[in-house]
Amino acid sequence: MPTLVFRTLYDYRDLLFAWTGRIVRARYQQSILGGLWAIIQPAATVAIFTVLFTRFLRVDTGGIPYILFAYAAMVPWTLFSASITDMVESLVTNMNLVTKIYFPRDILVIAALLARLVDFAIAFSILIVLLVLYQAAVNLPGLLLLPVLLAVQLALALGVGLIAAAVNVFYRDVKHLVALGLQIWLYATPIIYPATLVPEHLRGVYFLNPMAGVIQGYRAVLLSGDLHAPYLVVSAVVAALMLGFGFWFFKRMEHQFADVV
Amino acid sequence: MSEAVHFDHVSKRYRIGRPPLSLKTLLGSLRRRAEAQERAQERAQERAQERYHWALRDVDFSLQPGQSLGIIGPNGAGKTTILKLLSKVTYPTGGRVAVNGRYSSLIELGAGFHPDLTGRENVYLNGIILGMRRAEITRRFDDIVQFAGIGQYLDTPVKRYSSGMYARLGFAVAAHVDPEVLIVDEVLAVGDMAFRRKCYDRMVQMMKNGTTLVLVTHDFSAVQRVTPRCLVMYRGQIAFDGPAPDATAEYSNILRKAAQARSDVPENGALSQMVMTHAAVIEGVKLLREDGTPAFTFQSGETVRVRMQLRFHEAAPAPIFACSLRLPDGQTVYDYTTGWAGVTTPTFEPHSVAEVEFALKMNLVSGAYQLGVDLAYADLSCYYDRMVRAVDFVVVGRDGARGVADLGARFAVVHTALAESAPGGACLPAGAPAAIPSLETNQ
Repeated sequence: MPTLVFRTLYDYRDLLFAWTGRIVRARYQQSILGGLWAIIQPAATVAIFTVLFTRFLRVDTGGIPYILFAYAAMVPWTLFSASITDMVESLVTNMNLVTKIYFPRDILVIAALLARLVDFAIAFSILIVLLVLYQAAVNLPGLLLLPVLLAVQLALALGVGLIAAAVNVFYRDVKHLVALGLQIWLYATPIIYPATLVPEHLRGVYFLNPMAGVIQGYRAVLLSGDLHAPYLVVSAVVAALMLGFGFWFFKRMEHQFADVV
Repeated sequence: MSEAVHFDHVSKRYRIGRPPLSLKTLLGSLRRRAEAQERAQERAQERAQERYHWALRDVDFSLQPGQSLGIIGPNGAGKTTILKLLSKVTYPTGGRVAVNGRYSSLIELGAGFHPDLTGRENVYLNGIILGMRRAEITRRFDDIVQFAGIGQYLDTPVKRYSSGMYARLGFAVAAHVDPEVLIVDEVLAVGDMAFRRKCYDRMVQMMKNGTTLVLVTHDFSAVQRVTPRCLVMYRGQIAFDGPAPDATAEYSNILRKAAQARSDVPENGALSQMVMTHAAVIEGVKLLREDGTPAFTFQSGETVRVRMQLRFHEAAPAPIFACSLRLPDGQTVYDYTTGWAGVTTPTFEPHSVAEVEFALKMNLVSGAYQLGVDLAYADLSCYYDRMVRAVDFVVVGRDGARGVADLGARFAVVHTALAESAPGGACLPAGAPAAIPSLETNQ
């Protein structure tokens, strides 16, 4: 089955890219700030937490300026959560196409994911500026790890997105459930606080959350934190399983989508 | 297996009503559990039967490459389901659907158009959705734009387009996909007549190039012109499969039977309270040209003979014949009865057949019209039979006039002269040529 998935994706690559382009262009069409929104979203969240965690509650970030500490994690997290939010709705908002024209439906889901990469790139470029401004200790050879981290989180997001999008066609509760889940997930991941805050004996369980390993990975590379390779391996394995299951599940449900009225 | 399309005893069942599971049914079933077990089961079974609807039952046909097929039938007959199965949007519950070769489905014009994107961007998007490669679209781009006739608006967001422009652009893309099998739903209803003609011409041209066409439509004249073979669908089954002219007659027949089965309550008019007795029935209605050839498309001003075939089960003394013309939106264009006109009709014998004819001068502008006929008792107490929409036909106008009636306008400049610097602005003194103000009101 995996080869089949990739082959149809290859056959439909024009559609995938055209649809991704449609989402990106439509998103910033008729908006004054346009692509700036890709920065405002994570920056605003970071600003709030910076005030909170530097004025009222102090957290130990190991000497890293809090704003840098949080933003470096918030950028990949925003990619993760925004792409899942978009993917969940990707089928339902295009039902008029799904019920009328044939193409592999996962195209819609994957395009929703890819479209968020554009925002990610914009937000990431600001991150680079911040890293330079604060003269952060970037782990230069570690930068090679960035594509791996990105791949792991994309695989995880796509796995979750495929399942959620498919179920959302039948039960719209999923949309709300996912929004709630992502909110909880944000706090269950070391984004606004360091993982060191988690009691030692709970860390094994804590890092079963695949995003924990990914976020730690980003910090390790960009801010010279500790890598904890085993945690990253856990993340990669969970992400791969999720992606495989996601495609399997999606392909099983796919042929029923058009019949739901 | 050289068939382009093969429907092998295809059935399709839809679930209707609520989704299988919701909080309400969950709570409901918990409550029911307390009730007697058997009764709940009984009811569940009942509901299971109600919840399904057979959209298609045992539909079987095939098409050779280059053949074309029209599908007509009332709403809910399964036409769209056939198209969805053909385009693999949905899958059959029973049987097998095979489509060989590249296909393109025109079930919705401008599928995937985004209102905020420009015409140019949407052409690419729509083309790719319909199965074209990007390079292919680039190659045919100029043809597409020319066909749509939207040249200078190419870089305008399509949300600023008129609905006509939107439809034109949508069809233009689809018409350039060059599929081996083209699947077209009733999408052309939006365009104006000229554009529809252009679309049908394009379909005919594609068929000549070997494209297999499946066309769902209500436009009988299109069926006549484009698809020699036609299916009549009724309640999910094929009611008729054969030549298009017979199919349109068969379709009217089915509608009539359906109306009878519902013990039809006819609409408006003095006869509205009456029922049909079927002591005499209208067996068929044909439209003929003056020379007697059957047709569905007429020139404006042409005389059309409306031939009714009748069967009398009982004696019908001096019945009243009527025929009426309507626009597709239901507006009456013309309504004629032998009663109003004071035409006397003979007495028809029991167990006899007869043919009668109205001759109508079609002084109508271009457009689609519906013709209905009735046969009523002499005292207008009852109908013997009536066909509210017996035949649909198309009138092709000689000029570009709009409206309903063709008044055969002719234009002439009656007089021109230099105005003699008339002071006081009395450009139109009393008694000015009447043609000028009347021209203005014509515009």
